Formats: sequence, C-alpha cells, structure tokens
Amino acid sequence: MSVPFLSFDRVAIHLGGREILSPTSFDVARGEFVCIVGPSGCGKTTLLRAASGLVAASGGAVRRNGVVVSQPSREVAFVFQDYGRALLPWRTVEGNVSLALEAAALSADQRPPRIADVLAKVGLTKHAHKFPVQLSGGMQQRAQIARCLAQKPELLMMDEPFGALDALTRQGLQDELARLVRDDGLTVLFVTHDLEEAIYLGDRVIALQANPGPGRTSLAKMIDVKIPRPRDQLSTKEHPAFLTLRRELFAFIEQGHD
Amino acid sequence: MTSFLARLRPFCFPLAALLLFEFYARRAAAGSDAIAPPSAALLAFGRAALDGSLLQATWFTLASAALGLAIGGVLGVLLGIALGLSKRAARWSNLAVEVLRPVPSVALIPLAMLVFGFGLRMEFSVVAFASFWPMLVLTQAAVAQVEPRLLEVSHVLGLSATQRCFKIVLPAIVPRLFVALRLGVAVALVVAVTVEIAANPNGMGYAMMIAQQSLDPALMLAWLGWIGVVGYVINAAALALQRRVARRMGTLP
Repeated sequence: MSVPFLSFDRVAIHLGGREILSPTSFDVARGEFVCIVGPSGCGKTTLLRAASGLVAASGGAVRRNGVVVSQPSREVAFVFQDYGRALLPWRTVEGNVSLALEAAALSADQRPPRIADVLAKVGLTKHAHKFPVQLSGGMQQRAQIARCLAQKPELLMMDEPFGALDALTRQGLQDELARLVRDDGLTVLFVTHDLEEAIYLGDRVIALQANPGPGRTSLAKMIDVKIPRPRDQLSTKEHPAFLTLRRELFAFIEQGHD
Repeated sequence: MTSFLARLRPFCFPLAALLLFEFYARRAAAGSDAIAPPSAALLAFGRAALDGSLLQATWFTLASAALGLAIGGVLGVLLGIALGLSKRAARWSNLAVEVLRPVPSVALIPLAMLVFGFGLRMEFSVVAFASFWPMLVLTQAAVAQVEPRLLEVSHVLGLSATQRCFKIVLPAIVPRLFVALRLGVAVALVVAVTVEIAANPNGMGYAMMIAQQSLDPALMLAWLGWIGVVGYVINAAALALQRRVARRMGTLP
C-alpha cells in the first residue's frame, strides 16, 4: 500500500486547555483540491495551521509523504486571509515575492526571472514596483499568492483567502486559482466559510462541526465533487450536481447550528 | 507675498520676546551680573565664533554626544531586539534592567572620572549609559509590537533567524526606532552638556560655566542660546531623516 501524500491521523488540538479540534482523520491525495468548511470555531483554521506545522498537534499526527509534520517547510506555502498584514509594507510587490526566494537562498541574479514569472502568472507584472498600500485588496492577495507560488510548493494551504474581498473580485480570483493549481499540479487545502466557493473549487469538501462532544470527531461530512473541469462561474453553478451538493451542504450546516 | 508673510509668522513671538528682553535688560537691569541684553550676547557670540572657541567647544560636545549615543544606541537596540524576541530573556533581565535604569546618569560622573579621567572618553561613556536605557526599552517595546503575522510569514517561508532579524524585525521597528533615536539625541545632548557643567573641563557646558564664573553674562547667554539652536537643528535633522526613510520604505506617500 502506498503512503498517502498528506494524512491526518486522529489529529487533535488543545489550545489554552480547550479542545479546538477533536480527533480527526482523513487523507489527501497528490494533486487534490480539498475544501474545508464548517461553522466558526470548528477548528478549520487550526487544522490548516497544524498541517503546515505552525501549531503542534496535541494528539495524533499529520504526515506528509509519510513524515510527521513538526515545523513549517518550504514545500508547503500558506496564504493568510489578512493579506494586508501578511505582506511586508516596506517592500514592493516585487520585494515581497523576492522574500520567498531570499529565504530559499537563491542568488540575486537568479531571482528576477522567477519573480517576473510568478508575477505574470497572477497578473501583477505592471504593479511590480508598487507598495502594498498602493494596491487594492484583490491585488494584495494576488501578491501574497505570487509569493507563495515563488516558493514552488507542492502543497498550498489557503485560509479563507478570498473572504475579505468583494464578490466580483472573489469570482475572478477563484477562476485564476483553479487555473494556476491545474497548471502547476498543486495540492490545495482550502478553508472557507462560503459553501458555494467550496463546491465550485474543490474536488472534495470536508465539513467540520464545532464541539462534537467527548470521544467524537470534528469531521462531520465528506463529499466528493464530481463536476467536470474546467468549471466556470455560470454553467458550473447551474450544473445539477452543483445544485444537489449545495442543497446537501446547506441542509447539513443548517442542521448543525441547531 | 502672503506665503512669504505666513512663513515669517512663527518668528513673531520669539522676536517680540527678544525685543522686550533687550528693553528690560537695558533699562531695569543695567549693569547686572546675571542679565545682559540679547544684543550684547550676540556680540559675545560673534567674538567666540571669531576666536575659534565656539567651533572647538561645539565640536567637542557634539562629538562626545554622538559617540556616546552611537555606543549606547547600538547596544540598546541589539539588546532590545534580543529581549523583545525572547520572552525568557526578557523575564530574566527584567530585575537587572529595572534596578539599573533609574540610576541618574549624572551619578555616574564620579565613577567615570575615576576610570577615564577628564576628557572625551569619560564624557561619552556617561552619555552612552544615559542613552542606552531609552533605546533599550523603546526597542524592546517596538519588537514586541511587530505584527505577529509577519513573524508567521517568516516561519512559513523558512527564513533563518538572522534573515528574520534583518529582513522582518529590523525594518518593522524602524518607525518606532526613529522615535527612540530622537529621544536618544535629546538625552545625549542634555547629558553631554550636564557632564561638562558638572565636571569635564571641555565643550559648550564648560564654556558657559567659565563665562558665568568670570561674571560675563553676555557670553553665558550667548552659549545658552547657541546650545538651544544646536539642539533645535539636530532634532530637525533627525526628523527630516525620519521622513526620508519613511518615504523610502513606502510607509509615507
């Protein structure tokens, strides 16, 4: 039996004496786009932080390629929700992307082509010399994604990356992300509040529940999204499978709130 | 024309005060050993400027203030970064810092005199001690306020500890570091002049003391005014530098 790319083995997390995540197990295959949804306080973000080594699991283990994750790795990129705070305000877009390459100890003459490459991918070529404060929210988030892509990661963690953006910008970025992920063959763990976004982007949607009770798991539901790719904002969202899944997930979340 | 007049406006009050003082010193306090009219002070200032004593004393005070600030500042910033980044180091050093910090810097003059004798070294060591504390405390506070998200970013990107210090922490605290620097400049100048008045036979403070002891109020006032002007210029220069750096770093448009 082959080792799963990423495996959560009864991962539990306690912070400040409170159980944030109850023992949760699931595997992620290489190249898979997995979305994680659930009510506030169900441990979505914590799960993501544990998977990237920012938080230590109190019980169980996260394994990547069979090795226990204990600290952040350059193969795993993390896109934070608050792009405004995750970018270095004193560096231009270019400089922010460069930081990832400096961390990887790339020499100064090797950096510019890589920077130009990722900026072209996210459509920021024209804004390379601007500082974050001079950019809109959507462009700042693109800059953060560019910095993550510059790492050349095999796994991309995204914590509600489009949560603070307006609907139109969000849709644009969703499509761009889907394209980037397909082109680079990335594996993605994507946390979101937005059920439609989860179905639209994911190969699989995992729903977590808050406070499942003693001895139970936070993992509440796991559904496969078998909607063909490439997807698009209009026809995919009218696809019968999309509507069925949407109804199923909404009903589930509604019920969970009672 | 109006903009020219508007630019003169801040000078109205000081000029009026000077004129009033001139009038008072000439009429009411003529022949006083404590007060001289500003015009006489200006003449004394011109004489000091011509005979070279002004330049020499100013140079001495500024050099020892700058040297002391550089030593105290660098040590304060380095230790402040270390204590700001490590909660354990901060806990361990807390008592030592809180006991040493309130020691008045002038209380160190006797010790500094014993160790270094009179001269530059004794003066800048006291200045270094005095400016070390505000730099340390303000740097430590600034580091503690660095956006935690940026530190997480540095972990996720895999920056080394040295890279984290120079690429994240140091640039992030630059704006607050400038506040500390401006405070440090003021402290350094005050302490340098104080050391000269109290002990060290050099510099502007000593020159002012000599003028006072030789009952030359005009020269004494000239030095007093000149020290004020020097302090003002240095603070303005630090402010201009701060703006320039802020603009360079993209935090000011």
